[in-house]
Amino acid sequence: MAVDGLDLAVGGLSAELRRRALRLFGRSLHIRTVDTGSCAVCESEIRLLASPHYDLHRLGFFFTPAPRHADLLMVTGPAVRAADNLLLKAYEATPDPKAVIAVGACALGGVYPEDSLVHGAVDRVVPVDVFVPGCPPSPVALLQGLLVVVGRLEERVRTLSLDLDAGRAG
Amino acid sequence: MTHAIGALALAAAAGWLAAAGVAGVGAVRRPGLRASALLSGAGGGAAAACGVLLAVHGAGTTVRLGAGPVGGASFEIAPLAAPFILLLGLVAAAIALYSPRYHEPGQGTAVYLAVYNLALLASLAVLVAGNVVAFLVAWESMALLCYLLILRHHKREGVAQGAFLFVALSEIGFLMIVLAFAILATQTGTLDLATIAARSSGVHAGWRSAAYVLALCGFACKAGLVPFHVWLPAAHPVAPADGSAFLSGLVIKLGVYGIALFGFTLVPGGPAWWGLLTMGLGAISAVLGILYALMERDLKRFLAYSSIENIGIIVTALGSGMTFTAYGQRAIGAFLLIVALYHSINHGTYKTLLFLEAGVIEHATGTRDLDRLGGLIRRLPRTAVICLIGTVAIAALPPLNGFVSEWMLFQGLFQGFRISSHLVGILIVIAGALIALTGGLAINAFARAYGIPFLGMPRSGPAAHAGESRQPVAGPALLAGACVFLGLGAPLVLTALDRVARSATGLDIRSVLLVPKLTVIPAHTDFSGFSPTYLALFLLAVTAVPILIFLAGRPRARSRRPPVWDGGILSFKPRMQYTATTHANPVRVTFEPLYRPSVHVERASDDPAGRSGPVHYRFHVTPIFDRYLYRPVIRLVRALADLARPIQSGDVNLYLFYVFVVVLIAYAVYTL
Amino acid sequence: MAFWFYRGVRRGVATTRYPPTIDSWTRGLPSPPAFHSARLTAALVDGLAHACPAGALAREEHELVVDLGHCTGCGECVDLGRGAVVPSGEFLLATSDRAALIKRVPIRGDSETSDGG
Repeated sequence: MAVDGLDLAVGGLSAELRRRALRLFGRSLHIRTVDTGSCAVCESEIRLLASPHYDLHRLGFFFTPAPRHADLLMVTGPAVRAADNLLLKAYEATPDPKAVIAVGACALGGVYPEDSLVHGAVDRVVPVDVFVPGCPPSPVALLQGLLVVVGRLEERVRTLSLDLDAGRAG
Repeated sequence: MTHAIGALALAAAAGWLAAAGVAGVGAVRRPGLRASALLSGAGGGAAAACGVLLAVHGAGTTVRLGAGPVGGASFEIAPLAAPFILLLGLVAAAIALYSPRYHEPGQGTAVYLAVYNLALLASLAVLVAGNVVAFLVAWESMALLCYLLILRHHKREGVAQGAFLFVALSEIGFLMIVLAFAILATQTGTLDLATIAARSSGVHAGWRSAAYVLALCGFACKAGLVPFHVWLPAAHPVAPADGSAFLSGLVIKLGVYGIALFGFTLVPGGPAWWGLLTMGLGAISAVLGILYALMERDLKRFLAYSSIENIGIIVTALGSGMTFTAYGQRAIGAFLLIVALYHSINHGTYKTLLFLEAGVIEHATGTRDLDRLGGLIRRLPRTAVICLIGTVAIAALPPLNGFVSEWMLFQGLFQGFRISSHLVGILIVIAGALIALTGGLAINAFARAYGIPFLGMPRSGPAAHAGESRQPVAGPALLAGACVFLGLGAPLVLTALDRVARSATGLDIRSVLLVPKLTVIPAHTDFSGFSPTYLALFLLAVTAVPILIFLAGRPRARSRRPPVWDGGILSFKPRMQYTATTHANPVRVTFEPLYRPSVHVERASDDPAGRSGPVHYRFHVTPIFDRYLYRPVIRLVRALADLARPIQSGDVNLYLFYVFVVVLIAYAVYTL
Repeated sequence: MAFWFYRGVRRGVATTRYPPTIDSWTRGLPSPPAFHSARLTAALVDGLAHACPAGALAREEHELVVDLGHCTGCGECVDLGRGAVVPSGEFLLATSDRAALIKRVPIRGDSETSDGG
């Protein structure tokens, strides 16, 4: 699978969100991570984002511990019900305009089904703007997710096809 | 004008006498209670007016009554008493506004209010006493009436003990005062105070020193200076709130008045060591007072220790004033006397306010324990605002009166370099450093004393259900207004105090104290100066600018108000907050050699995390003065008494033998 | 000088652009599966769906439904697929549309006229 050069054009679906986010956040985005019961491997990958190799600071992204200073909530974990209070309070405490990015297979509904202990997917608790699959998503995938949120990168998965034999007559 | 002053003083006295009578008869019912409060307040107003006029006019009057076997009583309203008379009037007026809502009408209240008004009368008599007899009679009456005040709730725990300590130390002090006056009276041959003052320079220096030291120790017992202070934290908290306010706001200032009377009027111009001794006692009292205050959980005991601290500051000002005068720096000496008088008024104002509000808190919540209170700013909003003004004043924060007087004290002390003796200069610097330490600790202490009860969440049920509906507000509000006026209008007040100081020291320092632009200058124009009035205006302007910017540039969009971010925990419990004990922990750890605490920890099991049961932590400050000063003295007295006991054996024959021996001796002396 | 300051304040803090090329070592990262639809049979797909621990695979009629959001990249389906399933190498999968992560692959291996192999 060859990977094309990535450009920074604004575009794709949800252009309204992209345009709005781009105008509001520009190139300075403050991220607050919320762990709703993950195994912490996603957190390890998130932590690597600040390392010199990936260095999200050069792109204008910063981590902040206080939701009051955050523009973006990065949520991991399968939304364990015991963490409802935590997630909802953090969501409420983050001033508008804000975005939520759900990171990892757990947060997207895989691995743990909905039952008495977990919601299963983060978007059952708070509205999610961008989903980043992976277990864990590598820091490159996380960076792509962040740039998709602020509209600096185009989404790639919409036009992705997993059928290798498509185009051949069946 | 002098007639007006005398008439006002008489009016105050008459008002309080009438109030005592009305209270004694009528305060079993609410109208009688109100009537006596009205008369008491009227007396207070008259006294305050008398004080103001006296300070402004600068000269007093004399009234003589009778000539009994010890020379009769004479009353002289001298300018040095003016600030204290003003304070007495202000305190009486505020308490008069406060007491109808605080006390329940009844027999006990009737007796209490009668005693209280007579105590006001006795205090006025102390301040206007013109000869030794009048002074001593008034002093002792005032002390005994205050003892009865403290015993109002005599069946409660700790009251009898506190009252006993009060009267014991009061009597010890009285003994020393009597000796001091006796020395002066016999050495100058007169009982009249003005004549003693005129003739005292002719008395031998040793007698003068003895008189001053005795007077200092005697009045220190009343003022509450270390090491004579042990009665203050025992007695002031157990009296009713307005009684505590009266005691802490006024009665201890009478001790200060006594020291000032001796140091500046009766035996003025003493050697420097008098001033240094006074200053040392004051500085040590200030530091120790605030250090012990920080360890207190009981709000009223805390305020009592804070009174010790402020008395220490006042007496430091007096002592350093005497030192400067002894070295020829008379302008600075007069300046420091003004500082002492001004701080007396200031402390009287805000300490009375705080004690009255402590009474309101105790009535509203049923407890004085800081660790049980919390969140009162929402339940008692008016009380909270008034208490805030009092707390800002006592913590010496600009622009209120506490800040002005402490600033002036520091400016006076910093001019110690003008003294020729280097040793004395260094001692004055040390005193200044101790007062600075006190100031810092006081801010810590009062942040704790205001923050723990008023802010945060209620730490107990009664605190959560406090109500303000029937609590007194007018009295404390009057005092809060007085704090603001005394601070912003400091130039006016200091002009009046300057006239008082002039009569005491003979020096008019208004020309070097105030320039006509509302500025205060500490006795030498090349040193420093500031204006409390302009400072207040500046602070208002500075806070107004961001407010105006906010109002003008407010975003038009609707905003939402989420709750305070608490880290996402499920529920915030009151037990998660700071307590008064933990707030003072840094000070406790730093000064541990002074406190020598005994700590007792009890666990339900050996589990260090305490999972199987509660952990009890008890902390107790060792009372070093009690243990190392008073108990040995008491043991000595008991030992001596045990030695003398055999004389009183109960055997009639032995008593007859005593009579026989005495008759023999009398016969021998008569014939020889 | 003022121009750059103004531009920086308006545009935000970023100093460089995102790298235009991806490092070569990323080729080995775990990724969701890609399918040779010509070799998929209904039986095989049922087996894969049963084996997937994250519940990312399911069969609907003649289609294999892959939920990329659920996939953890464990490789169980690749092991079972016997050549019909290979790692896709795609890991830049962020999207704002959850439905875009659900991909459908037709099952073409059941028909008699398959190419075989």
